[in-house]
Amino acid sequence: MTSDDVPRPAATASTKRVLEVLEAQGGRSERHDDQLTVRFAADAIVEAVRAAREGGFDLLSDVFGIDWLRYPGHQGPRFSVLYNLYSIHDGERLFLRVDVDDDQRVPSITGVWKAADFMEREVYDLFGIHFGGHPNLRKLITPEDLEGHPLRKDFPLGETPTLFNDGRFLDPAAFRAGMIGASDGLTGWVGGARKGVVSEQAEPLHPSRVHDEEGSA
Amino acid sequence: MTERPAGYHALTVDEERRGDFDTRFMRINVGPQHPSTHGVLRLVVDLDGERIVRISPQIGYLHTGFEKTMEHRTYQQVITYTNRMDYVHSFAHDLAYVLSAEKLMEARVPERAQRVRVILTELNRIASHLVFLGTGILDMGALTLFFYTMREREQLLDIFESVTGVRMNFGYFRVGGLYRDVPESFEHDVRAFLAGFPKMLDQYATMFMKNDIFVNRTKGVGVIPRERALEYGLTGPSLRASGVPLDFRKAEPYSGYEEYAFEVPTSEEGDAFARFEMRFREMTQCLRIVEQALDRLEPGPVQDPDRRISLPPRSELETSMEAVIFHFKLVTEGFHPPRGVSYVATESARGELGYYLVSDGGSMPYRVKVRVPSLINLQSLELACVGGLFADMVVNIATLDPVMGDVDK
Repeated sequence: MTSDDVPRPAATASTKRVLEVLEAQGGRSERHDDQLTVRFAADAIVEAVRAAREGGFDLLSDVFGIDWLRYPGHQGPRFSVLYNLYSIHDGERLFLRVDVDDDQRVPSITGVWKAADFMEREVYDLFGIHFGGHPNLRKLITPEDLEGHPLRKDFPLGETPTLFNDGRFLDPAAFRAGMIGASDGLTGWVGGARKGVVSEQAEPLHPSRVHDEEGSA
Repeated sequence: MTERPAGYHALTVDEERRGDFDTRFMRINVGPQHPSTHGVLRLVVDLDGERIVRISPQIGYLHTGFEKTMEHRTYQQVITYTNRMDYVHSFAHDLAYVLSAEKLMEARVPERAQRVRVILTELNRIASHLVFLGTGILDMGALTLFFYTMREREQLLDIFESVTGVRMNFGYFRVGGLYRDVPESFEHDVRAFLAGFPKMLDQYATMFMKNDIFVNRTKGVGVIPRERALEYGLTGPSLRASGVPLDFRKAEPYSGYEEYAFEVPTSEEGDAFARFEMRFREMTQCLRIVEQALDRLEPGPVQDPDRRISLPPRSELETSMEAVIFHFKLVTEGFHPPRGVSYVATESARGELGYYLVSDGGSMPYRVKVRVPSLINLQSLELACVGGLFADMVVNIATLDPVMGDVDK
């Protein structure tokens, strides 16, 4: 089957109906250019998403967070969680938005949409926003022992050493120097320095051997 | 006897004859260093005999913090990072980003630049599908096709090299247009490819679409029904294989896609064969688009003349003080879009790709959220795999076509 003419968005009557339903549930809608956003209180979001899905928005495109900490002139809660919905039939896009503070939970929408699983885990991982009722709320892409949530605006970028739970840290400058062979840095090799590096210092110890030495001493 | 978990289908090993060797609920680790995972994907698979009961992708091995880094780069500098995510279909990421940034800036991109963007993105889509076909069939043990597809991809990479100077991570698009015009040989090279490639497609068709071993290996394997695909947020050719004709080039045309005649292939089967077939048939449509865009390619400027966005021409710098000032401002701090947000959905070789940009009025984006198709499509692996054979897992991974740079960001 091929379709030379996939239905183009003609009427947005069904979208208007969904908007009416959402506003009756306590949503406040706003439109910037072609972008339609409806704001909700955190505890109303599951019902709102369900209503939107039943109203024809059949693709959950994305769930993502925004940290407003450094946004000039921003007032209100620190974080926003946005739900990006798309109606395949009408070709309409709808954003639902929930504003939350650091200690607040957002109910998980995984019960309505299985697709939200990874998306909410990503928001949790990168922003530290908790989703209540998520079946498997674990980190998604950062290492297990990385402390903090990288996309928060107060999480440093770049030249600050990255701290891990067990006291290990990565110093970027030393790491780079190690990469070009200017220093042994943190790129210690098991059994000695890297080939081609003539070192006057003691050979760096691989972390797995540090414990052995301590044990025998 | 252990309680049977949900998703459990049938016992494959006769319980009486199993003896002491218990094959129920074995947990196996696949990857992250495994050729069939197309990168650094790690899967924890629970097995009952040969059947998969549960599959759980563990990702993040390639996480590079692109979104965080982009918040600390000017709008033009961000392009260095966009194409490094999906390194197989780079132009799609560049295009998605510049479209979103141009929407913030209200830039008017010249027609020639738009046509060149479409041609390159579609050629890159072919290159991406060629990698998909070659490696996908390689995973099933057929080596020959890989060499064929790589041969044709080489031709495409040569074109990209002549245009952009590099063979990967192009960074050729700019907010407001292109970095420079295409070389004179461009039209000739693309026409040569257009003339030769359909013959190659026929060869591929004989080699695998009509090949008994291939068909038996993929027909009815990893079926993803339409409703489940939508439930799991699947997009792109894999969704079209399940019968949903969603293609953002048709649904929300950008860069002038509405001017070109092309079809969106769909299938009702939803199995691995259909997912192969969709990409195979899509390549013919890409050729159609490229041909039409090339026919309408007129000489002209390739950058928005707006001085807020584009650098002034080199010749003006020696005579005009104003040009020097604009040049200095653009190079040192970049341009400042007004406050606001923008999102443009585009169709990459893997599915819906879009950049959600938040501007605070500064010269660097306040927040960049990339809606990457590979990450969200990866969830559907569960749909395709659970209940199926372990050996079919590699087929399912291949047909969902994840690029790990696109998954981990």
